[in-house]
Amino acid sequence: MHRRRKSDPAWPFGFCDFQKTSQHRLVQSHLFSQLTQTKKLKIISTSILLAASAAAHPVAFEAAYQLMFGTAGDVQNFELYRSYSAQAAWGIHAMRFEGAEDEVFTGLQHNWLLKRWNLPSAQANVYAGLGAGLAGEVGNGSSPAGIGFFRADYETRRVYTAFDAKLVESADVSRGVFSAAVGIAPYKADFDQLNTWLILQVEHVTGMEENLDIVPKVRFFKGPYFLELGSTLRGQPVANFMIHF
Amino acid sequence: MKILSVISLLVLSASLAHAAPDRVATVKATVNGMVCSFCAQGILAHFKKHPAVSNVHVDLTRKLVLLEERKGKSITDKEINEYIKKSGFEPVKVERVKESFDEAKGG
Repeated sequence: MHRRRKSDPAWPFGFCDFQKTSQHRLVQSHLFSQLTQTKKLKIISTSILLAASAAAHPVAFEAAYQLMFGTAGDVQNFELYRSYSAQAAWGIHAMRFEGAEDEVFTGLQHNWLLKRWNLPSAQANVYAGLGAGLAGEVGNGSSPAGIGFFRADYETRRVYTAFDAKLVESADVSRGVFSAAVGIAPYKADFDQLNTWLILQVEHVTGMEENLDIVPKVRFFKGPYFLELGSTLRGQPVANFMIHF
Repeated sequence: MKILSVISLLVLSASLAHAAPDRVATVKATVNGMVCSFCAQGILAHFKKHPAVSNVHVDLTRKLVLLEERKGKSITDKEINEYIKKSGFEPVKVERVKESFDEAKGG
């Protein structure tokens, strides 16, 4: 599949910005210089735009910042929010949809925890969010866009389930990302221990060439750090990182 | 003289009764919804900022937040409930126990 990679004002985390960083100079090793341009671009975009298909924590605790980024299949994601209460957060959200013509969305978003059930041995949540920004095909300009999401999850110390739907709409871009996940923890980790989860996620992205992905992945978290690693059955890497601070 | 002694004793006992405890105290708070350590980071973040709290421990198995109060200082039940809610959870019960913080951690 031909992929264009040009700088676009609607996508602040792209290749051109990355070129300016010192990290890029480190990456320019001998081995790296042997790769083709297409492979280089793929490696850079995958490494930098580690993106989540489903934001696990749209709202954290009061006064927290939460940073989430990752890649899953053809969708890359970046989110930075400030929770100004335990029920609401706002921040920036950027998404990139890879295809024949790559599409990007960048905007401001507000998230709400609509309902939480704090049970003795479980927690369930319903979240929603709305945002506005710019979206368009890479290199072809941008137009005003809106984003909305809905998320519901249920979790015990051994079982995890989640459903997530996101919609991005503009004059040129119309995408929906729907995912459902189930997971189990092989052991009950306590607060200070490394938590491990085995998760199976099904993700559907409207308007993509390959619009259904099955993603087995492993989730780890300890303290304020969260990492997911996996792969789609098509062999595309899935990596998500999250931190609360 | 006797009257003076009695008055002094009364004043002393009254002031002791109102002063913050002069020993390190342990507080046990039972909390609903704490099933994930990543989600419960707010508990640590909030209680660590309180000047009366020297130590915080979260026990997911027993659904407890344990607090060690600094000598001579105290955190109120109202503050504890408020911090738990700000962290996104539901406080159920707050108890002040005679065990040391380490003993309470050990179960």
